[in-house]
Amino acid sequence: MESYPEKMWRFPCSYRENLLIVAALMLGGLAAQLVIGPFDYFFLHYPVNVVLGALILLLALLGRPFSRAPLFRWLGSVPWAVSLILGLMVLSLIMGLTPRLLHLPPEPDFFLRLGLAQMTSCWPFVLIYLLILLSLALVTVRRLRFKRGGLLFFLNHGGLWLLMAAAGLGAADLRRHVMYVNEGQVEWRVYGENKEVLELPLAIRLDDFDLDFYSPKLALVDRHSGRPQPEGRPDWHQIDPGRVDGRLGQWEIRVLEYIHQAVPGEGGGYREIPMPASTPAAHVLARNLASGEIRQGWVLSGNRYVPLSLLALDDNLVVAMTQPEPRRFSSKIKVYTREGQEREAALEVNHPLKIGPWMIYQYGYDQASGRLSPYSSFELVYDPWLLPVQAGLILLAAGALGLIWQGRRRRAAV
Amino acid sequence: MTWTEFNYLAPPAVGLWWLSAAAVMRGRRRLAEAALLAGLAVFTVFVAAFWRDLGRPPMRTMGETRLWYSLFLSGAGYLAYRRWPYPWLLAFSALLASVFAIINLLKPEIHSQALMPALQSVYFIPHVTVYMLAYALLGVAAMAGLVQLRRLKRGQADPELYAFLDNVVYVGFGFLMLGLLSGAAWAKEAWGHYWSWDPKETWALVTASAYLLYIHMRLKDIRPRLTLGLLSLALLLLMITWLGVSYLPSAQGSVHVYS
Repeated sequence: MESYPEKMWRFPCSYRENLLIVAALMLGGLAAQLVIGPFDYFFLHYPVNVVLGALILLLALLGRPFSRAPLFRWLGSVPWAVSLILGLMVLSLIMGLTPRLLHLPPEPDFFLRLGLAQMTSCWPFVLIYLLILLSLALVTVRRLRFKRGGLLFFLNHGGLWLLMAAAGLGAADLRRHVMYVNEGQVEWRVYGENKEVLELPLAIRLDDFDLDFYSPKLALVDRHSGRPQPEGRPDWHQIDPGRVDGRLGQWEIRVLEYIHQAVPGEGGGYREIPMPASTPAAHVLARNLASGEIRQGWVLSGNRYVPLSLLALDDNLVVAMTQPEPRRFSSKIKVYTREGQEREAALEVNHPLKIGPWMIYQYGYDQASGRLSPYSSFELVYDPWLLPVQAGLILLAAGALGLIWQGRRRRAAV
Repeated sequence: MTWTEFNYLAPPAVGLWWLSAAAVMRGRRRLAEAALLAGLAVFTVFVAAFWRDLGRPPMRTMGETRLWYSLFLSGAGYLAYRRWPYPWLLAFSALLASVFAIINLLKPEIHSQALMPALQSVYFIPHVTVYMLAYALLGVAAMAGLVQLRRLKRGQADPELYAFLDNVVYVGFGFLMLGLLSGAAWAKEAWGHYWSWDPKETWALVTASAYLLYIHMRLKDIRPRLTLGLLSLALLLLMITWLGVSYLPSAQGSVHVYS
């Protein structure tokens, strides 16, 4: 295939040469890291990222009329692509094997100064990423033609370019903050990276926070060690109206009554009252399989207002209830923007609110207090490059469907 | 149905799959296909009833995702065998499907009714399903890659097998990408960003890169043995992404560690 005059059109064409170049680039990147420190994404803020993206595209466009030029042939060649992918794979493998550090200690040792624990701002990674962008742009533009095979190639390579360009170059413009809002109050301040107070162009009023939980499980617990029994392979009984009978170790149990939102009633019992201070309660009957002994009583995991209750079986064992796991939690909020826009919404995990360029997410609550949490927290994300990212995702998904549909087209000469 | 009934329904399915593997290797193709489909039917009935009684898709815990691996491995193996009638293909799929059923028989993990809020999403079922399909197909590809590697060492690669291999990898990689992309879209809904370099995400990138390497290296017929060997390495990486990440030191605080 490569039957051009040897001397005139020389470019690195073997895997060995290309891999050496990638390795040299990564080593050079590490050296740069040691000399000038990690790559600073601040540098990529708009409009620098747009200019850089445009430059890459311009180079790629130049590659079309000059497609025979050795530089462009090389940057669009298979061995170069393979070497870049391998480079990315090695770097992400390092990232996948080692814990990530959010902040470097004040006096980092040599290994930390290489920046591999903060890979995304490490020079080798940034270099490989940019070269992949260039390569993708080049081959996408070069192969741009209106034929079926050309379409699939465009979807996969052009889609990936758009996604990587918008996500990578746009990363500098991304802002993410967590805001804590007390019930009944309005908040517009968040803490920055260095604990400084930042004021955002939008404010949130929390009207109500609510949490619903799954019915909990019952377990046999050793009252001395506090560990679930039988040791090592504990039994659990999921409280379920469809299945009242169960077995925990040597005890057969039956849930006589289950109250999802219980508060203490008269005479030591419990009754259903849906209020934040309520807690799940189960009336349990236990029978020992060997001796036939019977125990009966209420079991509660309890909260700040309703005390814990266990059912003692013998000197060692008790039946206890696990802490209920949240089914869903939601916050009724009202959002005000600086421009005077107002929006009411009920936020839930997986159901964020989009307002202008901001997305607001249900983030968390005071887990120790559960339903009684005095606050709800929200994540606010500002991502002006979301649209091209989504477009890239859609192109790539279409490309993936194309791969599934047609597999690898067999060509005449392989 | 619960895991208790699994103890009664899984052994017949495993038996049928073994019968299928044995039959196809002895040239009894009709029997092999029938046995495989019968095993698949038994397994499907369990999964469907289990799903119904669970009140949520059984895709959360490791044991539950293994159910789908068995299901899709036998299903995808059957379809691939119909398309490319290599006996070892059916045998391999049937045996591997039974392996995951047996793991579930021997090590049923604690299963909870609860589905944490982040997992309650329309993306949940498609995300896990396409991944299971991808795992099944890429598992088949690794196996076929080893067979081709042996042929190559004996001197002659099978062009038909290459065509099959490339097709399976392209289709499997397509599903892998769909899994990754649906995961990114879901992450944007649930966690505020489509890519956070969570260890599971990083490993998904490593795995995808390995298959990209294979796909691109196949474009030129340089180093064919290395290229074929890549399929086994890639499957290993895939298994680490799926099962191993939780045990890595890098996974402290990962949002993807199964309960």
